[in-house]
Amino acid sequence: MLTLKNTLETDVLVIGGGIGGLCAAISAAQGGAKVIVLEKANSRRSGSGATGNDHFTCYYPKAHGNDMAPILKELLDSMLGLCHDTRLSVRFLERSISIADKWHEWGINMKPFGDDYVFMGHAFPNRPRIFLKYDGHNQKQVLTAQAKKAGAVILNHHPVLDLLRNDEGITGALALDMSGKEPSYTVVRAKKVIIATGAASRLYPPAGTPGWLFNTAFCPSCTGAAQAQSWRIGAKLVNMELPNRHAGPKYFSRAGKSTWIGVYRYPDGKLLGPFVTKATREVGDITCDVWNSAYSDVLMNGRGPAYIDCTGTGPEDMKFMRAGMISEGLGALLDYMDDKGIDPSKHGVEFMQYEPHLIGRGLEIDINGETSVHGLYAAGDMVGNFRSDISGAAVWGWMEGEHAAANLESGSLVEAEKSEWAQERMAYYDSFLTRPSGAHWKEAALGLQQIMGDYAAAGPHRVRSETLLCAGLKYLADLRRNAEANVKAANAHELLRAVEAFELMDNGEVIMHAARERKESRGMHQRSDYTFTNPLLSDKFLTVRKENGNVITEWRQRWSA
Amino acid sequence: MPPVINQDLCIGCGTCADICPMNVFEQEAPKMVPTVAYGEECWHCNACVLDCPKKAVSLRIPLNYMLLHVDAAQFKE
Ligand SMILES: Cc1cc2nc3c(=O)[nH]c(=O)nc-3n(C[C@H](O)[C@H](O)[C@H](O)COP(=O)(O)OP(=O)(O)OC[C@H]3O[C@@H](n4cnc5c(N)ncnc54)[C@H](O)[C@@H]3O)c2cc1C
Ligand code: SF4
Ligand code: SF4
Repeated sequence: MLTLKNTLETDVLVIGGGIGGLCAAISAAQGGAKVIVLEKANSRRSGSGATGNDHFTCYYPKAHGNDMAPILKELLDSMLGLCHDTRLSVRFLERSISIADKWHEWGINMKPFGDDYVFMGHAFPNRPRIFLKYDGHNQKQVLTAQAKKAGAVILNHHPVLDLLRNDEGITGALALDMSGKEPSYTVVRAKKVIIATGAASRLYPPAGTPGWLFNTAFCPSCTGAAQAQSWRIGAKLVNMELPNRHAGPKYFSRAGKSTWIGVYRYPDGKLLGPFVTKATREVGDITCDVWNSAYSDVLMNGRGPAYIDCTGTGPEDMKFMRAGMISEGLGALLDYMDDKGIDPSKHGVEFMQYEPHLIGRGLEIDINGETSVHGLYAAGDMVGNFRSDISGAAVWGWMEGEHAAANLESGSLVEAEKSEWAQERMAYYDSFLTRPSGAHWKEAALGLQQIMGDYAAAGPHRVRSETLLCAGLKYLADLRRNAEANVKAANAHELLRAVEAFELMDNGEVIMHAARERKESRGMHQRSDYTFTNPLLSDKFLTVRKENGNVITEWRQRWSA
Repeated sequence: MPPVINQDLCIGCGTCADICPMNVFEQEAPKMVPTVAYGEECWHCNACVLDCPKKAVSLRIPLNYMLLHVDAAQFKE
């Protein structure tokens, strides 16, 4: 039986010790706040940045000039730019280089090529380059050490299960303490909460290896916790219905495709895209950032498969690429290639589009990073109206930590663990552990993926419609009811996996409600009953929230700069 | 995609079990060699391989993750 063992108090609670969470913890602690971080795994190696990244999008006036406008345009035109409230993009760009400076000072090598920052990769020929190339292999250890040095307390192996609130706003969170032999509950009462739980992987059947739930491009322990937990307490989510699909090598799912320096070809050697005939470290082949569905399209039309061909890349650039892959956390991929004799200077490697996941879709934040729930901030991959991956998480995390610490007087400490909601949720999670027998979490997880794949499919070549989405919502509700009544967790590990499956169900439900409301086709949101793109919606965002059990969808104007 | 621990090299420091983002390992007691309890849940992030002080961990990538590739000579024909 799970009991509440620990009730803690803090000024600022950070949920998720990933890139965004650690940056928030450092700035809040430096701002004088008492800070606790609750992390699902261990912040030294958790999340999508676990073993490194290598591109940090930012605006550097010294290299880019004093006019920010072309850089803003580049950001919005890039694969990151689809769902930005431009007001947030500008604020981000203004602060971005100051965070790169801090990272460098702390020991993450942001200048691996000499005395100054260098911008490379993900770029169109003859356009400004906005991706600062860095060596992030030690980023998580460095940020963890800085957070501790600043005074933040990091509680590892403490996944958060639910957010707690009252009528005024956020009051804290309920976590599962899995750090010892016996699991128990911890409640943290907080004046401000910054949630930063990363992307939502594992929503759809893995496109490459069905049945292998954990072969994902982004970290599979990021399961849309922020979106699910905030949704439950009535926060506003935005852009949830617009699918995003990453791409990379087939069937070894791994993000970081832009570190490969090569061109994309059809089997007969013909180039896929018009941008370059030869790739260099400065300008790679951006075809698949632009023609996002390329790898699926060429399979569907029979002209594929599509390969990345690095054989025209010079030897120096090949060495550079290998070093980049290490900075990027692709060590397991490199080891595998070495072991199997796969050599990118001799072999073409097939690329594919991975299953949809949520990144840059989720919580709506305002100019301070605060959500629609007073005192609750959100940073990183689970924000819905801004996206810039590593640097987005770092910069917004930092700004939110600052803002939270400077505004503590507008929050208060209450006995959050005594609320009806906290009591109800503690009993709920306990039921999975205490029931004598039942279904395995994997049945619930696979059930969700089946339903998402069939009834909320993402393009290309797959459609959504009113009838499919309504059926999907019905089936999802059936699955949830059955799973809630039957899933049995043998231990804390299995309980965590079950919790994740339920989080993903919440995400799936929100996606389907929002997808119903978007009565047009846009990007990979393809409606068979509304096949056109409606220009009237181009500058509008769709928000979803729950109020007294009812789902409320609302359109709003995109916030301009 | 189970990680594999070389029992002869492992000193049971527990690092792999502590840092694995997917909670793949279980360590019964300090100083004991961890068991790979949930190998299928491995994300091939490589953290355990990198952080093991004795280089005792390697990854066995499942057969079906095969990284499809061809001889690039075919592009020139
Ligand atoms: C191989 C790879 C290469 C990449 N390369 C780049 C790149 O070069 N440039 C770039 O911009 N981006 C890159 N990315 C993306 C980048 O890593 C992410 O965008 C970034 O890590 C997002 O930061 P975050 O703080 O939002 O989430 P994360 O860093 O993923 O952190 C989320 C944290 O929340 C924790 N968590 C999850 N659920 C809970 C819960 N319920 N309770 C408590 N904690 C929880 C997780 O354990 C994790 O620590 C790459 C990703 C991968 C996988
Ligand atoms: S590779 Fe990563 S996910 Fe797999 S066992 Fe090692 S640390 Fe865990
Ligand atoms: S990190 Fe290495 S030495 Fe330490 S317990 Fe794991 S396998 Fe053994």
